[in-house]
Amino acid sequence: MSAPTAQVTAPPAVPTTSAGPHRRPYRALEPTRRGKVLRGLLLAAGSLLTIFPFYAMVVIALRPETAIDFPSSLLPWNLDTSAFRDVLAGQDMLRWTLNSVIYSVVSVVAVLVMASMAGYAFAKKRFPGREAMFWSFLAMVMVPYHVTLIPTFIVMAKLGGVDTYWGLILPSLANAQAVFLMRQFIKGLPDELFEAAKIDGAGEWRTFATIVLPLCKPVLATLGTFVFLWHWNDFLWPLIIGKSADMWTLTVGIASLRQQQVPLSVVLAGSVVALVPIFAAYAVAQRSFQEGVAQTGIKG
Amino acid sequence: MTSALREPAAAPTRRGGPGRAGGRSVMARWDARTGLLFALPTFLLFLAFRFGPAIAGVGLSFFDYDISGSLEWEGLANFERMVGDPVFWQALRVTVLYTLLAVPLSLGLSLVMALAVRRRFRGVGFFRSVFFLPVITSLVLAGTVFVWVFSTDGPVSTVSQWLGGSGQSWLSSSLLVVPALVLVGVWSRFGYGMLILLAGLQEVPRELEEAALTDGAGPLARFRYIVLPHLKPSLFFLAVIETTASFQVFDLIFVMTQGGPARGSYTLVYMLYDQGFKYVDYGYAAAIGVALFAMTLVVAVVQRRFLGRES
Repeated sequence: MSAPTAQVTAPPAVPTTSAGPHRRPYRALEPTRRGKVLRGLLLAAGSLLTIFPFYAMVVIALRPETAIDFPSSLLPWNLDTSAFRDVLAGQDMLRWTLNSVIYSVVSVVAVLVMASMAGYAFAKKRFPGREAMFWSFLAMVMVPYHVTLIPTFIVMAKLGGVDTYWGLILPSLANAQAVFLMRQFIKGLPDELFEAAKIDGAGEWRTFATIVLPLCKPVLATLGTFVFLWHWNDFLWPLIIGKSADMWTLTVGIASLRQQQVPLSVVLAGSVVALVPIFAAYAVAQRSFQEGVAQTGIKG
Repeated sequence: MTSALREPAAAPTRRGGPGRAGGRSVMARWDARTGLLFALPTFLLFLAFRFGPAIAGVGLSFFDYDISGSLEWEGLANFERMVGDPVFWQALRVTVLYTLLAVPLSLGLSLVMALAVRRRFRGVGFFRSVFFLPVITSLVLAGTVFVWVFSTDGPVSTVSQWLGGSGQSWLSSSLLVVPALVLVGVWSRFGYGMLILLAGLQEVPRELEEAALTDGAGPLARFRYIVLPHLKPSLFFLAVIETTASFQVFDLIFVMTQGGPARGSYTLVYMLYDQGFKYVDYGYAAAIGVALFAMTLVVAVVQRRFLGRES
């Protein structure tokens, strides 16, 4: 899946390595035949265990009967899509999906705009209070989110933000990791670019819009995917702030289905539907996903 | 705000720039103005939803507060109550037990898998992608299927019955519920650790490993004396991340067990949620938040100790 082109250019004599012709061969450190067999077994067992819950999820979602036995119920026959029809026909599910989309998309746009602005300021500008602001961002990473949960909720309740979109969205936009990531990336851009723009008479907004943002495209794509994921999967805040079923997101709604005596297949059908956008995003951007995590330590 | 903008103090430190006479201070002033303007939206948001609430959260733990708005200074009463509350000790016990089981298991599995997919071979990208799938999956969504996995009809008890076990549901056993949750937690997180360690493995110089190989060092010796020392920073980073995440486990508990059976899986964050949003006892909930904060700080200090030597 990764680097199929390198596979093609590799000399046919060494089919076990995917290293290109210009790289030094790894052969000296390649595992022995026994090592390879062991590795293969380990990876096969690991991926089976990793995939099993997803498989079970889909197959059970396709079972109308209530008694789900192992292993007979996991055999892929006598499947039935009625649970999917039930879940998709429900008004609630549509509303929850809409809420999740609003929560995620609005947050992605807002966080990307604000984090790139702040990242630019922290990376390239000198202004009073810069160090203090930046260190306070850093310090907040150490404070568990849950310490802030109760006061944030109280403030939101006072301001009338409970059960509203702005109450749901606004607090989650304070995203320190996004600012760090943008600052780190913009720091690496050459100063000369901005100075040249200034000499050409570009205002700060124009410099930001025509130079900073286009150069940040790759990191914005990575960050955008992560922010989307965080919000799509977020649970505790939407659970607390959404009082009526109309304001629940998909995660809260599906958790509530499980609390009520809804058939397992229907709950799982809902879960499968809610997972589709995430898996689709991952299928498109898995390379940048993995690199993003490896380089920055931020997590989906 | 305007007075802060006029401050020319930052001007002499500005480096580079075309050396036009008088241009620097004007530019520095513009820099200060745009810098502040660009950082301000995020900073205000932080003030309102992170710093403010964090300070209020600590402050609130010294008060009795309810939704009607009556705020009463209580001093250390909330903490005294906490110390005398068997429910708190149960929540702390479950949280620590979960962490002690989940962190080593997750770290170990991450390390083994990172080593397994370290070198390029046919299909390596497939394995890396598959192991990362649970990381991007919401545990609220996956939790539902895991409830079935650990139920009496599910694979875990069925297989244990085949092997001569009792075949009971793990989630309704006070002894097995935490191990069951740990397995789900590890399932959902080891792929993240794998990627972090994979990045750390890039730092291991190949020449060193090849030299060791020619000197006749076996795979275990090479791992112990060459790979492991280079991997230390990534391992510590991961250990801290995993520990703080385990302290804060919630989604999983909410969806799979609701803290049961008989508070067998009742964690600190679950207790905070209960006290705050079920019993509407904000002061006590805030005190639990402070306890959580203190635990996180201890981990941070320990990390400093160990990492201080590295960097």
